[in-house]
Amino acid sequence: MSPLLEQFLSEARDFLQGIGEKLMQLEAAPADADLMNELFRLVHTLKGNSGLFDAPEMTRVLHAGEDLMDAVRNGRVAYSRPLADRLLDAMDFVGMLCDELESDGQLGAAHAGDSVRLVDALRHLLQPDDAPAEAPAPESTPESAPAPTASLAEPTPVADTASLPLASIPEAVRMQAYRRACAGEPLSWLAYRPHEQCFYQGDDPFFLARQTPELLWSRIEAREPWPPLAELDAYSCMLDFQLLTAAPRAALEEQYRYVMDQVQTTEVPRLALVMPQGDPNGGPVYDDFAADARRLLQTGDLEGLARNASTLLELSSPDLWIASALRWLQLVLETEPENKAILDALVDCLGSLAAPQWGTAGAAETHTASASTSIRQDPAPRNERGQEAEGVADASDEATPALSPLAADALAAVVAAQGEVLALTDEPRWLPGRLKAAAAALSGCLRATGATAKLQDLEAATAAALARNSGAPLLTWIAAVFPAELVGEPGAAAPVTAAPPSPAHSAPQPPEAEGEIKFGRRAEDAISGPKSLKVDQAKIDRLMNLIGEMVVAKNALPYLAGRAEAVFGVRELAREIKGHYGVINRIAEEMQGAIMQIRMMPVSFVFQRFPRLVRDISRKLGKEVELILEGEDTEADKTIIESLGDPLMHIVRNSLDHGIESPELRRAAGKPATGTLRLRAMQESDRVVIEISDDGKGIDPDIIKRKAYAKGLIDETLLEQISDQEAVNLVFAAGFSTTEVISDLSGRGVGMDVVRTAVEKVNGSVALTSQQGRGTQIRLSLPLSMAVTNVMIVVSDGQRFGVPMDRVVETVRVPRAAIRTIKHSLATVLRGRIVPLKSINDLLGLSAPPKANADDELAVLVVRLGDESLGLLVDDFSETLDIILKPMTGVLAGLPAYAGSALMGDGSVLMVLNVKEIL
Amino acid sequence: MSKTIMIVDDSATMVLSLKSTLEMNGFKVETAGDGAQALTKLKGGVKPDLIITDINMPNMGGLELIKNVRTLPGLRFTPILTLTTESQAEKRDEGKRLGATGWLVKPVAGPDLVKVIKQVLPGA
Amino acid sequence: MAVEYKKNLVVFHDVVGVEDAEALLEWLQKKRTAKVDLSACTHLHPANLQVLMASKPAVQAWPADAPLRAWLEPILTAP
Repeated sequence: MSPLLEQFLSEARDFLQGIGEKLMQLEAAPADADLMNELFRLVHTLKGNSGLFDAPEMTRVLHAGEDLMDAVRNGRVAYSRPLADRLLDAMDFVGMLCDELESDGQLGAAHAGDSVRLVDALRHLLQPDDAPAEAPAPESTPESAPAPTASLAEPTPVADTASLPLASIPEAVRMQAYRRACAGEPLSWLAYRPHEQCFYQGDDPFFLARQTPELLWSRIEAREPWPPLAELDAYSCMLDFQLLTAAPRAALEEQYRYVMDQVQTTEVPRLALVMPQGDPNGGPVYDDFAADARRLLQTGDLEGLARNASTLLELSSPDLWIASALRWLQLVLETEPENKAILDALVDCLGSLAAPQWGTAGAAETHTASASTSIRQDPAPRNERGQEAEGVADASDEATPALSPLAADALAAVVAAQGEVLALTDEPRWLPGRLKAAAAALSGCLRATGATAKLQDLEAATAAALARNSGAPLLTWIAAVFPAELVGEPGAAAPVTAAPPSPAHSAPQPPEAEGEIKFGRRAEDAISGPKSLKVDQAKIDRLMNLIGEMVVAKNALPYLAGRAEAVFGVRELAREIKGHYGVINRIAEEMQGAIMQIRMMPVSFVFQRFPRLVRDISRKLGKEVELILEGEDTEADKTIIESLGDPLMHIVRNSLDHGIESPELRRAAGKPATGTLRLRAMQESDRVVIEISDDGKGIDPDIIKRKAYAKGLIDETLLEQISDQEAVNLVFAAGFSTTEVISDLSGRGVGMDVVRTAVEKVNGSVALTSQQGRGTQIRLSLPLSMAVTNVMIVVSDGQRFGVPMDRVVETVRVPRAAIRTIKHSLATVLRGRIVPLKSINDLLGLSAPPKANADDELAVLVVRLGDESLGLLVDDFSETLDIILKPMTGVLAGLPAYAGSALMGDGSVLMVLNVKEIL
Repeated sequence: MSKTIMIVDDSATMVLSLKSTLEMNGFKVETAGDGAQALTKLKGGVKPDLIITDINMPNMGGLELIKNVRTLPGLRFTPILTLTTESQAEKRDEGKRLGATGWLVKPVAGPDLVKVIKQVLPGA
Repeated sequence: MAVEYKKNLVVFHDVVGVEDAEALLEWLQKKRTAKVDLSACTHLHPANLQVLMASKPAVQAWPADAPLRAWLEPILTAP
């Protein structure tokens, strides 16, 4: 798994937890704006993060959740329980996807249905009840990223190019631009007037302008004459940038998206660039040339025309106006010899020495320009333009020119592109402009196919579209005029052939709440996150192991001191070693404490899941339950806290299921209808205690007794004698379950014995008290930490074994004579009580008999086993030690007789007995 | 000389994602978990060439941070990009008004991020 | 340093940032006959550009970076 995914999952779980908690809290305080904002922030951030991964289902659901929360916090939708339910469902789904991402590294294909269902459920809540269902707002999925950026204002009409200082562009640059326009590239004039204060926004307008894609020409101008230097404010931007570019509109919008309000673009038709410049006087006589040229043009002898132009150009000074006009003629002959209208105009101007009059050629140009801007990438520009120019030139002739396959493709692309544009459901300010542009492009298409008769219909559709401010009428028109077969591309065809969308569909969705988000939500800003580090569990474990080794290594020093004195006879050194040992010992202990501290977790880690659980279960059971959590800050070792989860869950479920009564029953019993379930954690010396109490009906000891008897757990005598308190504790006996019908809620057919086993596994204990009709209280007592184990070392058959001190009651030496054999079992009497004895050698399968000391006394280690005491016969006792107990691993893990092993100071390994198991 | 970029986001995932992309592209990265933390760092002498900040954060949000950054002498002209989602057009305009240079739309793809940075940071 | 001030010459190196404009303006106010060497410059923030445009120092060397030179030459060439 990548570190990023790991980070995401870990954070996502925190967020999901937080979302659940906030929703719970909102149930109690539905009007709390801070909570609402925080909740929104969590969902919002989680959605943002999910977009980093290939998890569209997750993003989609979170997006819907975010929209809903946004509506709630803005007061457009009221918070309600069903709303919380659906959000919780959605978050559960997200949690499940997280689990799958964790285990498989990716999401399976099976979730699309669920995600759609959840999104629908969430979106449904977004609609006011009286409004008809609307189409969902356009969603953003990772595929659609990057999200639409701002658009430039629609280019000013082509006619305005006259006002542009195009003449200041050198002829060579204009010719280059012309060539590129002929190759289908769109030409734009861009004027960028940065705000005076823009430097204080981190802008570098010059850098931005320099990076303009497909830059053909540029210039910088001072907005006004410069003041004297002493008055100059270097940081007030007084520069204007003007440039000519062949970049498609989209690329310009992308480049200038942050400053689009400061930029104006104008489409530049290529003919606007054709302006002969130079000295109008002098040079050879041109009348003849103009007459010849016209004749050559009429007879179609373009080669002859080119030859003549070339000759005349050689004879003329390059600075003359006429030379410039000839160069343009050459260029047009080279780039678009089929465009007679332009050639005509150029030849005319050679005769008149006046700027060329484009006439119909200019009209043709207008359509071309708007069409190619809309489709951006014209697949067959030359061909299409050729067709169009002819179409216009032969406007009187109604004959429909047959389209070449290439031209048909181009036409289909143009129409499809308009369809796509018109199908957009956003509602920009420039929608009318967009509609007009599309209409112009479509009109061009009609002319190209010669279907000019349909122009009137198009005009009507355009008028309707503008009146309704919607693309729908034009879409309908497209569907009617350009059938699907014509628009070949399947993807592009969809929007065109689709039935015209209903007004409700194409009506723009209200912009997602943005209008209502007010800046300055200080409340949200005030929420502080805990200052904590997230550390991988494995790293802590490593620290634990290291400190374990440290303790062991440290423990070698006393051995060393002993050897220094005993073997080498240097008492001085021995004392020094002991002195240093003291220091190292202190540091090691503090370090150990500090590391233990790292492993400490608050019980809130397990408590936090209960608000949701209690809410869900009580809802299902039709009960009203108030959950009170106390002492959530109480800390204990991670292992302990984690081991609490399942037992607590079981107890709480039991309490909800069997303890707390239905509201009717409670009222009948004179109790408040709402039951109370209390989870309380506290520290008692070195134990952490968890109390789970309810004010439910309690446990009937008689029922328990009868049941225990029926199940053979107690005999008749005990049935008579057993106290009520003892009876209720029978629920912990293996195989006991209080209700006949196992509900789907409380457990999987297991009883409270599971709780006991789980708690005992971490050296904890459990006790239950109950008052019939008043409630039940269960008390779990667990060690704070299990990392350090205090063991007593015993020796038997020459081997050393550790016995956990919490099992040890006392050590005694019993004279062999005081040991009796009762029914094949050994026993002795200690302080008036009979203590059964077992030989540890027997228990471990060692054949050696127990060894007695010189006084013929046997060493007996008295251990506690539940409520009983038992003596273990060993050969000798040794010291007690703090050890770091390492569980058995590998094949050894299968040996229940040992609780684990520990490394000793001299490098030997100590096996620690699991007393309960060997007995 | 590699440029230093400060990332301010309360989501560790987002920070990690941006940070790794930037470091892979040779930038030095400073991070902060919220606006207040970022401001402390900036006042403490960290001088990034570019700041990328989330909007919605606890303690101090991105907009408040931008306002504050613009009052610090060495950071009057530092480019700032906000991290927004597609539904936050108003926030990014507000950010611009308060002195941000531009915005990034989450989720930010690596190449897009580098492209935008090269666009606002001459010499990057 | 991106801007190097010599006796009567200011030399631009690499990218000249916005913060440099203040000092540049001050310096050029004092050295009305100063020249500017842009040969090693790859970009200059427009704040600096404005200062140059307003103070019109003689350009001793144009940027080696041809596109940059094309931008600057028309506006920084003495009339």
